[in-house]
Amino acid sequence: MSVDSTGTAAPPPIVETFRGKHILVTGVTGFVGKVWLSMVLTELPQIRKFTLLARGRKGVGAKARFEEIAERSPALRPLRELYGSDFRQLLRDKVDVVDARLSADLCGLSEAEADALMADVDLVVHVAGLTDFEPDPPLAIEANLRGALNVAELAKRSAGKRMLHISTCFVAGRPSREVPESLEHGISPLGVKFDPRQELEELSADMASLATVRARTDHAMARGQRLGWPNIYTYTKGLAEHLLLMTPELRVSILRPAIVECARSFPMLGWNEGINTSGPLVWLLGTTFCRFPSRATNHFDVVPVDTVARGMILAAAELLRDEGREIYHVASGQRNPLTFGRAVELTALAWRRIHGRKQATTFESLVLRHLEARPVEADGDRLLDVNTVRRIARSVRSLLKGRDATTALPERMRADLGDSLNKRMKSASMKARNLDRQLGRVDDMLRTYRPFIHDHDWIYETTALPAATARLSEDERARFGFDVDDIDWRSYWLDVQVPGLEMWCIPILKGDSVPEDEPLPFNAVGRIAARAKSDEPTDESKRGPSACPEAADGPRPQRSVSA
Amino acid sequence: MQQAAFFRVEGTLLDRPALAAAAWLAGNARGLGGRALRLGNVAFAAPLSLASSLASGATATRVTWMGLRGMTEDRVEVLAEEYYDEYVQDDLMDVGRRLLDRARKDGRRIVLLSDNIEQIAGRLAEALEADDLICNRLEISRGKATGRLEEPVVGSHLAGQWARGFAKENDIDLDLSWAYGAHAGDSLLLSAIGKPCVVDPDFRLRRIARDNDWPVVER
Repeated sequence: MSVDSTGTAAPPPIVETFRGKHILVTGVTGFVGKVWLSMVLTELPQIRKFTLLARGRKGVGAKARFEEIAERSPALRPLRELYGSDFRQLLRDKVDVVDARLSADLCGLSEAEADALMADVDLVVHVAGLTDFEPDPPLAIEANLRGALNVAELAKRSAGKRMLHISTCFVAGRPSREVPESLEHGISPLGVKFDPRQELEELSADMASLATVRARTDHAMARGQRLGWPNIYTYTKGLAEHLLLMTPELRVSILRPAIVECARSFPMLGWNEGINTSGPLVWLLGTTFCRFPSRATNHFDVVPVDTVARGMILAAAELLRDEGREIYHVASGQRNPLTFGRAVELTALAWRRIHGRKQATTFESLVLRHLEARPVEADGDRLLDVNTVRRIARSVRSLLKGRDATTALPERMRADLGDSLNKRMKSASMKARNLDRQLGRVDDMLRTYRPFIHDHDWIYETTALPAATARLSEDERARFGFDVDDIDWRSYWLDVQVPGLEMWCIPILKGDSVPEDEPLPFNAVGRIAARAKSDEPTDESKRGPSACPEAADGPRPQRSVSA
Repeated sequence: MQQAAFFRVEGTLLDRPALAAAAWLAGNARGLGGRALRLGNVAFAAPLSLASSLASGATATRVTWMGLRGMTEDRVEVLAEEYYDEYVQDDLMDVGRRLLDRARKDGRRIVLLSDNIEQIAGRLAEALEADDLICNRLEISRGKATGRLEEPVVGSHLAGQWARGFAKENDIDLDLSWAYGAHAGDSLLLSAIGKPCVVDPDFRLRRIARDNDWPVVER
């Protein structure tokens, strides 16, 4: 019998745990889901099948939508490079896409369809969710609560009766504290005893009775805050955790990532998608806004997306072995903390680099480069804080709006200067209005983020995934191990995070587009095919550590691809 | 026993003194107030550096780097990299490069001695593939510079006693080794090594070289 580094009996290797398994996944069109799917297909080709529950969009069916993502998303680039033209065959062999609506009973499937589909499924991984902090509450209830419960109903019909649910560390809610890696059933973050089912029913009933989005949002916020959840996102995700763990006949593990950020190596260095949590904040710090409302000593709990994907593989493996825990934290704050003070300084230094480039404008290189952000108390009244600048902008606007400059000019100058002065005043008034609106959006954003960047400080106990890592062989530890301890925050922030956001997120904030991969040509040769044709070993050293599937498991499954 | 070539970086390989690096780093601290304060500190070090009559050059070196007190290690690293890229890597003195290449060709161990901090001198040593680097190290506590330097402080006072200790530790024959310096303060080191050589020297070192019959290499 082999033993692990803790001296206890070592579990079977992860590759063996996943061998021949059929996994149903939701949320693969999202940031984390895509990376996880790509990593599992790349690293664990022993898996038998994935069934993806997805929704079509804009007249495109779920299957076509997924195929487009698979063909063009950089998240699946390692897989496309690995398989070349066999990539499409891989998808045909290993991936089924089912059009589903998670908010409907049985996710929109009929009883017969659900039974037929689930009879063969070993594990359900539920990644889908709505991550907006303050959406219209019924949307969050549908996505984060009803969706999770409907997926759990499907999971109960599966052969394995196992479900891995992806939540968030921030369900910890108020107050600041060290958050244990566990859940007290029916106890809210503020320590209030409550009935999760009743809470859901009452919340749903209240929402049905309120007519406006504002009223629904305010009411749901108030309900959530009464229990200790600072916004609708954490409220609905937190409630879902309680409800899922109450589901009978189902083994549920909940994985709670902290703030998910740019990849360290998989699918590629710096990859990110969409407008995530820190993207707008980082962008803001590169502008003239240089007072960042946060507490310098508070923890900024960031984890790279590939670390989250590794954590999902570890948790899924334990669940498949029926050794799953209730809660897994994927967080850095306890083991390798990054504070807001340090993150703000590193962001300022990263912008300094960007604004020092040759292609930077004069304003960027002479002004922005030296206007460095710093953390400040949120409620102080300072020069250049958002509210002060907004007040100035409004004053300028009210001073200029509707005024006729010609009345202030001596009569002999009116004909020459009047029109041009009026035009300038109108333009300045518009600029002041736009500035006020932009800063209004910034203010809203900072208010939304305030509980997480200023008011509260959490340290998440993180022992489950390190313990799972300690039980791996050395080779599997390198491929799947929980790796937050290795993060050098300076290097990560300067060389991965900010450049990653600059490429994948900030253009979206500016209204631009981000690059997509070209669709695969039909005669593309993947690394597998290339290797099969040649005895020459490929240069593995150029690939990231995660993109090294053959290292421990012999040749890749060419048979299943080319069959 | 092997032979070594000792290079005093400031003057033989680099035109700019360490004081310039300290001033540049101080001038890029966070906030205008912080910059002014730190630059004032470095300015105070300037006359000390010039006063060669000081019993120990270590004082001037300490004061030079004191201006970085409270600066985060992250900032020091990033600014040092920027300084190196902008003012060091493409600005090496040709004469120094030639001497260094020749020393390497002759099989000598290359030892760089620099008043600069490790974050700058380390990058230079790596680029020049030096075998050893003796330079100043900022004391860092809780991610911030304390304003103090770790011992031993490297400066023009670094002399014979240190060289003999280094040679013994590394099995180097000092009599057959070379040393290159450019300032009067370097004379202590030069006189401790068997084959001293002055590179584009200042007025006082030129006089010392003439008195001691040391070879002088001009730019």
